[in-house]
Amino acid sequence: MTELITPGLAEADTDADSRPSTVLSRLGALSTLWIFLVLVGLVIAFSLLAPGKFLTAFNIRSIAADSVAILLLLAVGMTFVIITAGIDLSVGSVLIFSGVIAGKAMVALGGTDLGWGGITLGALAGMGAGLAWGILNGLLIAKARIPPLIVTLGSLGAALGAAQIITGGVDVRNIPLKLTVKLGIGQFAGVPWIVWISALVTVVFGLVLAFTRFGRYTYAIGSNAEAARRVGIRVDRHLIKVYALTGLLAGLAGVLNLARFSTTTIGGHSTDNLSAIAAVVLGGTSLFGGVGTIFGTVVGIFVPAVLQNGFVILGVQSYWQSVAVGAVLVAAVYFDQWRRRAREST
Amino acid sequence: MRRRVLVAVSTLAVITTISACGSSDDGNSGGTSGGKKSLTLIQGTKADEFYVTMACGAQAAAQSLGVNLDVTGPEKFDAGQQVPIVNSVTAKKPDAVLIAPTDTKALIPPMTQMKSAGIKIVEVDTAVEDNSLSVAAISTDNLGGGTLAAQTLVKLVGGKGSVLVINVNPGISTTDARAKGFDDEIKKTSGITALPVEYTNDEPAKAAAIVSATLSKHPDLAGIFATNVLTAEGAATGLRAAGKQDQVKIVGFDAGPQQIQDLKSGVVQALIAQDPYGIGQKGVQTAVDALAGKDVQKQIQTELFAITKDNVDSPDAQKFIYKDKC
Amino acid sequence: MTTLSESGDGDAGQRTGTGLLQARGVVKHYGRVQALRGVDFTVLPGEVVALIGDNGAGKSTLVKILSGAVAPDSGEILLDGAPVQLASPLAAQRLGIETVYQDLALANDLDPAANLFLGRELLRPGPLRWLGVLDNRTMRRRSRDSFAELGIGLQDRSVRLGSLSGGQRQSVAVARAVSWASRVVFMDEPTAALGVVQTRRVLDLIRRVRDRGVSVVLISHNMPEVLAVSDRVEVLRLGRRVAQIRTAGATVEQLVGAMTGALDAGTGAAEGGEPEAGPAEGEELR
Repeated sequence: MTELITPGLAEADTDADSRPSTVLSRLGALSTLWIFLVLVGLVIAFSLLAPGKFLTAFNIRSIAADSVAILLLLAVGMTFVIITAGIDLSVGSVLIFSGVIAGKAMVALGGTDLGWGGITLGALAGMGAGLAWGILNGLLIAKARIPPLIVTLGSLGAALGAAQIITGGVDVRNIPLKLTVKLGIGQFAGVPWIVWISALVTVVFGLVLAFTRFGRYTYAIGSNAEAARRVGIRVDRHLIKVYALTGLLAGLAGVLNLARFSTTTIGGHSTDNLSAIAAVVLGGTSLFGGVGTIFGTVVGIFVPAVLQNGFVILGVQSYWQSVAVGAVLVAAVYFDQWRRRAREST
Repeated sequence: MRRRVLVAVSTLAVITTISACGSSDDGNSGGTSGGKKSLTLIQGTKADEFYVTMACGAQAAAQSLGVNLDVTGPEKFDAGQQVPIVNSVTAKKPDAVLIAPTDTKALIPPMTQMKSAGIKIVEVDTAVEDNSLSVAAISTDNLGGGTLAAQTLVKLVGGKGSVLVINVNPGISTTDARAKGFDDEIKKTSGITALPVEYTNDEPAKAAAIVSATLSKHPDLAGIFATNVLTAEGAATGLRAAGKQDQVKIVGFDAGPQQIQDLKSGVVQALIAQDPYGIGQKGVQTAVDALAGKDVQKQIQTELFAITKDNVDSPDAQKFIYKDKC
Repeated sequence: MTTLSESGDGDAGQRTGTGLLQARGVVKHYGRVQALRGVDFTVLPGEVVALIGDNGAGKSTLVKILSGAVAPDSGEILLDGAPVQLASPLAAQRLGIETVYQDLALANDLDPAANLFLGRELLRPGPLRWLGVLDNRTMRRRSRDSFAELGIGLQDRSVRLGSLSGGQRQSVAVARAVSWASRVVFMDEPTAALGVVQTRRVLDLIRRVRDRGVSVVLISHNMPEVLAVSDRVEVLRLGRRVAQIRTAGATVEQLVGAMTGALDAGTGAAEGGEPEAGPAEGEELR
């Protein structure tokens, strides 16, 4: 495995400071594996505690469609953002704003009887709105050099406020029936359409993160932004793209949300940003940047969803679910910190 | 990496096998055979004393009728949070469900699925637009409640001035009816101006902010009608903060412990109390009757009571006061 | 010799007579601080030249200018005798000038191959290139070859960089610069944080680089090291070049003396030392 051209440098292998890299590289994959085992454990536990009720096609479909599909779109974007050592608190508000724009557009174009052409236009308008907020976030973070926490805290308030101004605080109704019936609650091959869409987007961006230059630059910037700059990577441009992507995905989430609930749910989604962050972190992505996978995020998003669903089925008081998710999250971050310390001690 | 994928794929295979061998999908038969019937109450929101009292009444009825009752609800009055809970309850396959839907439209698909699963549904308090999904709907006569509130407020402000309705969110059947009842009654009353309705999204902080803003804009504000518990709480806070509790009269809807405090200390002048305890009781009773195959009344309305400082300690009023725990 | 870059003329340095890379009369101030006051500097083809000077002499600033990171206020930079503008680090890189920074500028969460190709990733051929799909296999193969040629031993090449030792990381940083450089590699204090064995490895690496025809500019505070590996030494003091010394036969005292000004700048009492004028007229120093 080691090609040494020059003899006399045999000490290279037995360098006292060099640790056996095999153990540590396994640890990298370990955190995602660990949370995956936790998820499997939960599934098994709930299946045993509620036989015939938890592990049914209906229930799995419900978990996927209700608690995972829409939030996963936010979490995919959030994965990219957190890998760059950034954060985006505005995703829930951008979701709502995009849904409002899409809803208003669809109502203006025809309301409940609108055909697919109009629906597509409305959806594009909504996604465009999400993209715009993402670009704004990116510009302020990359060019104006304002910390991501502050910028996205601002856009969290601004996007929600804008949505409330546009609607007067009143949810938009009269959403096209074709959208809500066919897409929102409709299925294809036994799987809800919104799950198909969410899964497709997740797989695509999982591949992008793992196998493309765009993904490589995301990791590089999160690991050492200054180094990336010095080798010629356009860091500012890339950051804008990452936040823009997150905004676009939040826009898509807003449209799917509109389809599923046939209303804009302005009062909801206020903790979606934290749920997305939790999913990303649970999945093994480090808040310090440079490390993370989409696969991990998918696992991470299922854990709280399965917990909530299982607790309701078992009749456990729902407050315990919040406690459980919180505990798992802290444990995951602690484990990540411990791992990081072990790695960086060279 | 390859090893991880292998583990993932094999585990997924195990799960699919278990689920395939497991139960049928869309579980069509309800809960236990023979044994005790199991019911679930899905509240509109966990934290509201109205729903807590409803759960108390439901628990009491469940105990006396010999059925199991689980209680669950979302943290916010939000369809997005309630829908996953509804679907989880459907997977649980209880015999009957009492539900307070948080949106007249968004809850229709999950409730339809629940009905197809063979679960009997009783709507409590709020309802969805499709009334074929439930066997019965039990609620307060909210329209009449709004009328009663208007009459009470008009008397309190001495027949003149501006009044403001602070509502929760449009699209909620109950609060919309209260606001409408109030509005219709005010329109009939000369000397009183109705200011445009404001919405709080069920957040007390928002209600307080609306009150402060209205006071600055309309100094002649004489009365406020707050259409539910959290809204009344917030409105009272807003008045206290502005020091206007003597000048502006509030009629609140719902009588939680904090509101009763406010009533006794003079911050709120009257409370239109619903009977959530009774709703809970009747809900369970109706569900049990439906499960036994008896005919049930499709629409059941419960009473209201106007509580003021004068009658608050009377046994009649005490029945209507909400609890924050059973 | 395998360079990873496809451009750049590896033989440029063999032409005698002109310096490979030269600075002439370069001036730079930062506010009221005069970092460089008309400094000259010469790198000849195929040599290791040490750039020494006390703190504040202007070494870092000079290196930043010659690697394109900073623009000079005035003065000339010549490459193969012709004036050039180094507008950015990228411009310098395109001309075959690479830098190994003191902080290494490596991404610790990526593996050595990824770091080697950072910013210059190879893409899969065909339609996948348009999507930006990485050709990891080729990059890994080529980096394995580069590391092997430079005698850098890494047990597990797919491990993240942060889990390697300081010396190994240094080697990767050097390998990166060397693999892409076709003319000059600047190294800023490459052994500052290393132990004895690792230092020896890096110095061997420097010699190997020179032997491949790429010049190395070594900034160091470590005089014994300077004497051990360099062919020439250029001394800066207070923003100017004060001495050019051939390493063979020089002593630490001479070097330190030149740095601190204990030696008279004009007389150049050190053996092989030249007065301030420098080889601008094409004088050979070898």
